[in-house]
Order: sequence, then C-alpha cells, then structure tokens
Amino acid sequence: MSQAIVTTALSKVYREGKIEVTALASIDVALMEGEVVGLFGPSGSGKTTLLSILGCILRPTSGSLGIYGHETSILSEKDLPDIRRRFISFIFQGFNLFPALTAYENVILGLKMKGITGSDATQRATRIMAEVGLADRMKFLPRDLSGGQRQRVAVARALAADSPIILADEPTGNLDHSNGRKVMELLREMASSQQRCVIVATHDNRIEDLFDRVLYMEDGSILREKRG
Amino acid sequence: MFYVALRILLYDKIRSLITLLGVVFAVGLIFNQLGIFLGLMETSSVIIDHTPGDIWVTSKNSKNFDFSQPFPEYIYNQTIADPEILSAEKLIVAWGIIRQKEGGTEQVEVVGFNPDTGVGGPWDMLAGDTRYLKNGNFAIVDESAMKRLGKIQVGEYRDVLFHRLQIVGISRGVKSFTTAPILFTSFELAQRLVTYMGSDSTVFVVAKIKPGASVDQVIARLQQRLKGVDVFTAADFSMKTRKYWAIETGVGFSFMLTIVISFLVGMLIVGQTIYNSTMEHIKEFGTLKALGASNSDIYRIIFSQAIINAMLGYIFSLIITVSTVKLYEAGGMVMVVRGWVNFLVLGLTLLMCLGAAFVSVRRIKSIDPAILFRG
Ligand SMILES: Nc1ncnc2c1ncn2[C@@H]1O[C@H](COP(=O)(O)OP(=O)(O)O)[C@@H](O)[C@H]1O
Ligand SMILES: [Mg+2]
Repeated sequence: MSQAIVTTALSKVYREGKIEVTALASIDVALMEGEVVGLFGPSGSGKTTLLSILGCILRPTSGSLGIYGHETSILSEKDLPDIRRRFISFIFQGFNLFPALTAYENVILGLKMKGITGSDATQRATRIMAEVGLADRMKFLPRDLSGGQRQRVAVARALAADSPIILADEPTGNLDHSNGRKVMELLREMASSQQRCVIVATHDNRIEDLFDRVLYMEDGSILREKRG
Repeated sequence: MFYVALRILLYDKIRSLITLLGVVFAVGLIFNQLGIFLGLMETSSVIIDHTPGDIWVTSKNSKNFDFSQPFPEYIYNQTIADPEILSAEKLIVAWGIIRQKEGGTEQVEVVGFNPDTGVGGPWDMLAGDTRYLKNGNFAIVDESAMKRLGKIQVGEYRDVLFHRLQIVGISRGVKSFTTAPILFTSFELAQRLVTYMGSDSTVFVVAKIKPGASVDQVIARLQQRLKGVDVFTAADFSMKTRKYWAIETGVGFSFMLTIVISFLVGMLIVGQTIYNSTMEHIKEFGTLKALGASNSDIYRIIFSQAIINAMLGYIFSLIITVSTVKLYEAGGMVMVVRGWVNFLVLGLTLLMCLGAAFVSVRRIKSIDPAILFRG
C-alpha cells in the first residue's frame, strides 16, 4: 500500500494584525491509499486548517507536504490547481452545491473541473448517481432534496472523478444522526472499495467505528491515534 | 461555463429581469442619444450633402452653412473663369421673417437657388416643381415646416420679408440644425427679399470641376486667385458645418455626457447584480476551485453572465429603438439607426457589461478557503 499524503513538521500560524494564532503546531502524518481516516478533536483544534492545507487550498506557514510524491511546498500558486485537479476532491458540511443546477448537473460540473467532459462525464455521472441512491433524483434542484440527499450529491461529485484523495469536513454536521451515518457508510463503502484515501474531520463520536484509523487533535497537534 | 452562467441567471429570475431592464434602459438611452445626435448632424449639412458640386466658395472664415456672410458676385465670375471648372452656381442662404396666418411671425431660412439647374434646391418634391419658382414671387416650403407654420397648401400666399409670395411646391426632407423652417426661392427673388445683402452679392458659389481634374489643385488655385473668400471641398464644408453645431454650440458635449452617464449607470447596475450574484455563489465557486478549477475557469462563468446580459439587453434595446424611429420622425426628429451605429453600440454594451464583471473577478481571485467550510 503506497502513501498518498506525507507531511513533516507542518505548521500554520494565522496572523490578524498583531495577534498570531497557531492553528497547527507541527504535524507529522502519513496517510495511505485505501485508508479511511477520521480526524477528531474539539472545535478550534485545527481540523479544518489541516484539511485545507492537505487539499492545497491553504498554504502552510512551514513544513512540507507531499501528495503522491509531489512536494507542494516548492510549487507556485498557479501550479496548485493542477495538483487539486489530479488528486483531490472535497466534501463540505454545507454541501456547497450550485442551487441553480440540478443534482446531476452539479456532478457534471465537478467532473468538468477535473477535465472530464462529454459522454465519459455523462456516463460517470449517471452511474454514480445510481450508486449514491439518487437515480430518481437526478433532475432535482438542491432545494428540492433533503439534507441527506444533498450530501449524497456532494459525495457523488467528489467521487465521480476518481480523485485518489477525498477530504471531508464535518460531512455529517448538518444531518441528523441516522442520515449522517448513512452518508458516512456510503462514503466509506465507495471509497475503500476503490482504494481511495479518505480523511474525514468530525467531532461526531457516534461514527468513530466507521474509520480504519482515527487521529485525535487538540490545540493544533495530533495527540494520539487509534487503529480500528 | 456559458451554460452554467445561463442557469444561474435563469434561477434568479427577478434579479435577472431587473438587470436586463437596467441594461435595456441604459443601452436604449445610448442608442437614442447617439441616433438623435447623428440625426442632428446629418440634418445640419443635409443641403450641402444633397447639392451636386465639388467645391464650395464661402465668405472668409465662414463657420457653417446657416450663418455665412455675403460676398460680391464677381467672385462667381472669377470662379467660373478657372480652366478646370466645368460649371458653377450661386446660392443664397439668409434669414427672413414669415408672417403667420393668425398674426405673429416666425424666422425662416431662405435658400435662393437657380431653378434652371436646381443646384442648391430641394431634391424630393411632394407637390409642385422647382421650375415653377422662375419669374415671380414664388416659394417652396418643406413639409417639415408645417409644424411651425401651420398647414400650407400649394397655391396659398404667405408674407415673407414684406413680400407676398405664392407657394408653388412642397419639398420633403429639408431641415436645418437651427430648426427654422426652410423656404426655397429663386436666386433673384432671394436677392431682392434679403435687403441686408446688397443686390450684387451671393452667399455661396457651388462649382463642379471638369472630369479628370484634381479637386485639391483647383481649390489651391482658387484660394490663391480669389480674395476675401474661403474655398472648400463639399465634404470639408459639410464636416465643418457639422463640427460647428456639434462642438462650438456644446450640443455634442451634452449628448456625449448623456451617453457617458447612461454607460456608467448601466455598468453600475450590471456590476452590482453580477457582484451580488457572485458573492451569493462564492462558496460554490470556491468549491470549484477546491476541485481544481483555475481562476480563469470561474472568470468564464462570470463573464458569460455579463455577455448574456449584454446580448439580451442589446437585442431588446435595438428592437425598441428600431420600432420607435417612426415615432421620432412623426415628432419631426431624425434618429439614425445604421449598421455602424449598431456595431458601435454593441461594442459599448459589451464593454459596459464586461467592465462591470471585473469587480467580481477580483473577489474570485482572493476567495478565503475558510468560507468553504462554514456550515
Ligand atoms: N482564517 C482564520 N484566521 C484566523 N484564525 C483562524 C482562521 N481559521 C481558523 N483560525 C483559528 O485557528 C484555529 C483552528 O481552527 P480550525 O482549523 O477551524 O479548527 P477546527 O476545524 O478543528 O474547529 C482556531 O483557533 C481558529 O480560531
Ligand atoms: Mg472546522
């Protein structure tokens, strides 16, 4: 099993005027292909910051980050979209679907951002919509879907393009327990059967059992980890 | 990306409709102001442009067609004596007063020309004929003058500069920038009517050159030979007249100002709504970036919105403009709608909408990733 993400001494300091907040102290972590990892910790512990940096939408203050062997700290800002396009997909707490586009069109647009268009895109989108159980909801606008269904659309958008790394921030945060668990089970099942590397930041202890490995964060550091 | 832009616009129908109305309003105003301005410009030189002749001799420092000073008639003889001049005609343009039927007076622009050749006379007759002007106190009025002078029929009499003239024809399409009614008479009658001129004066000499001769050379020679006058090509004198009315009277400036203001208002409306829409979708745009979209991928969505607004707004404005041309004509105004004007306005509309989108583009560049993660 090969390494998807490796970080060494990764740190992030937010500066707001004179105030400095150390959001990440010194993170050393290696995440494997096919692994579904939970990132637990109280609010403010740095989970979102870590996901943003791993997903190359935020740059670390210091330290190194390798994504499938590409050292990102030496890349320039304009090379990062390419890294994201090739390796990374996101799932957010707030779903972040275009309200004007149907469920299916949201998936198609996500694929387009990954450079997948035409009949390849339509086939993938149709297939994945069926896999997340929304074959009969493809033409629905997000506002006509339940929260759980919307998040399943977001899962479909994230998984459709075969990105090897899936980063999810509080994906169950806006869902009730049973819906949240269903979405997580779906994500887990689809991702691990396809050897993706999935990292889920959450503070929902009730889904702890769904992870291969759990990392516990506090004050910007990983305190301990547990293998499932 | 165009499709996504269209869907975003269609999703928020009310806002899109208001934006579209804003664009239609701004662009319609630009069409209207530009069209009327160009109409005024064409009107201001309409007689010059319809008079067959290569060269116009005018008094020294003459600025326009309507207010030129008289000069002695022998200039005409000197002009026609030039070996490369084929023919020449005298033309009087002067100011007079016409008495209204119910009393009161109106100013009229009297144009005295040679009815035998028609040079400087009307080119489109509704009734009567220019040759009827010969040998007597006869006049032709333009159809457009009836707004000011009341209904006039062929055969009626009107008092002009204390002479009783019989109307022998109605012309069409002759107007002046001054909006004063235009009255055509024979050259001889105009000379008698306009007493301030002197009986051996003319206001213009319009000349044709021989085939193969060079206008520039003939003009250079005439300028040297003739004293106390200016010599222009017809095109130059036409342009000089237009420039006078556009620039020296400030009319052009005020039209330009309205056009600029319309442009800015349109830009503001479009900019405002595209900005709001962009801000509302900032999370989704940020998500696209997180999935690997480059800034320019997202710019394309935003600029597409601008282009859709521009094209729809333009088409509606054009339809409205074209269908109101007749309305303006009925009101005695000329609004120019023509290929190059339409292209110019299309360019302005695109510039307006794309310029407006730039504010939003700057926001995309600096999306804060934190925004994506908020529930
Ligand atoms: N954009 C930011 N500017 C300044 N401080 C920030 C910003 N984002 C997060 N922080 C701070 O960094 C710390 C970690 O935040 P975050 O990564 O959001 O934690 P979590 O996702 O675990 O709640 C917190 O103290 C938070 O206040
Ligand atoms: Mg968080």
